[in-house]
Amino acid sequence: MGEPSPKKILLDPLLNTNPITLQVLGLCSALAVTVKLETSFVMAIAVTLVTGCSSAAVSLIRSQIPSSIRIIAQMTIIASMVIMVDQFLQAFAFELSLQLSVFVGLIITNCIVMGRAEAFAMKNGPGLSFLDGIGNGLGYGLILMLVGFFRELFGSGKLFGQNVMTPITEGGWYPTNGLMLIAPSAFFLIGLIIWAIRTIKPDQVEAE
Amino acid sequence: MNPETKRTFKVAILLCLVCSVVVSSLAVGLKDIQNQKKEAFRQQSILSAAGKWTEGADAAELFKEFITSVVVDLEINKATDRYQADDSRLDVAFAQRTPEFNDPLDSAADVAGIMKREKYSIVYEVREEEGAPVTVLVLPIRGRGLWSTLYGFVALDLVNAADGATGLKVKGLTYYKHGETPGLGGEVDNPLFKDRWPGRLIYDKEWNVKVEVVKNASTESEYQVDALSGATLTSNGVTNMLRFWLGEDGFGPYLQNTLSGTTPPATSTDDPPKHSAVSGSRN
Repeated sequence: MGEPSPKKILLDPLLNTNPITLQVLGLCSALAVTVKLETSFVMAIAVTLVTGCSSAAVSLIRSQIPSSIRIIAQMTIIASMVIMVDQFLQAFAFELSLQLSVFVGLIITNCIVMGRAEAFAMKNGPGLSFLDGIGNGLGYGLILMLVGFFRELFGSGKLFGQNVMTPITEGGWYPTNGLMLIAPSAFFLIGLIIWAIRTIKPDQVEAE
Repeated sequence: MNPETKRTFKVAILLCLVCSVVVSSLAVGLKDIQNQKKEAFRQQSILSAAGKWTEGADAAELFKEFITSVVVDLEINKATDRYQADDSRLDVAFAQRTPEFNDPLDSAADVAGIMKREKYSIVYEVREEEGAPVTVLVLPIRGRGLWSTLYGFVALDLVNAADGATGLKVKGLTYYKHGETPGLGGEVDNPLFKDRWPGRLIYDKEWNVKVEVVKNASTESEYQVDALSGATLTSNGVTNMLRFWLGEDGFGPYLQNTLSGTTPPATSTDDPPKHSAVSGSRN
């Protein structure tokens, strides 16, 4: 296996090996926080930071971690990072932290973070692992933002809380789509996105 | 013990130590800012129950402008000046663990599931301007939902208070702290749920609490509020805590005392009031 370039490590997860659309990981939070762009955005940043930093930290001590306890050691590092992010949110974005409620804490169980630590950071240097973590976080964030964009636009006629299509309830013309406000709509949207990506890139389609 | 096991223990202990030191020092370091934010959010929640909150405003400033905190002695059901409203001993958490500041409730009286009721509670009087009569009274409420104790405020519209018990209407209901399931019980925070409250009646003519959260609330009943779907226990919790806090073990007698009196509660002046019947402290 040749050494992949840092650029490839960073950018591949955006589309080619996207954690949500190709690996189909991290769906739970992708359904939960994408009602509005604002929460999607904060969640995307939080996951990107956690994935990047925890991959780097795991990679830094990878030769010290005994393989018998490597999973729990990774979890400890990831959990610490997540608590730190949560504490920062509570201090500097209190209302957002209320809206994100349990989902920030649940980044700990987000398979993407753990997956990158186990699959990449245990075998590569800290620099590359950091890039890989950031890349995967961004890939996750990209889908989150995309889903959030459609859900907020059609569900409440807004983008980042600003009226784009003024809904009838506020004296405008746009009848809001209630389906977009509930979690299943994110399933449909993610399904459509996966369909679109695999139509453009048929090599992502799994063999029958 | 073989060296491999020894190393495993060493790494595990070191890793845990480093992580816990980092996490706890961060938590301690950020505590002050977090508490400030929490307090601002609590004030915002009072203002929004009273219908005085606008998005993006400065909670502390609005609070100063419209709100007077009054300490109520729940044993004699009158306002008291024994304690200032900013006294940390009146904090609910402190009162709960300090026997001099709480009364244990027996299980029949404890409909809200709070075990102990504080002896002194703080209510918030809303005036349009200084010296004007109180238009809205905001009462703190708390009680068990499904998973957690919900902390919030109910605001009473006093405009028709002269009509007696049936003149009191709900102005708003907000929660600032709870741990109910997001999307189900957590929807007590939802603006759609909050919008169901203003205008509801609370008491019948005899000061019995009649307001309740029910499934398929009748549009004809002025006492009923439609429940949260998928959250029966949280909805019941909301009914129970209103029953308790507006009832005779809660603020019911205080409301009867203050509202049936001819003079509305006065704001405190520079000299402390001689008797404790009606007094307020601005903060």
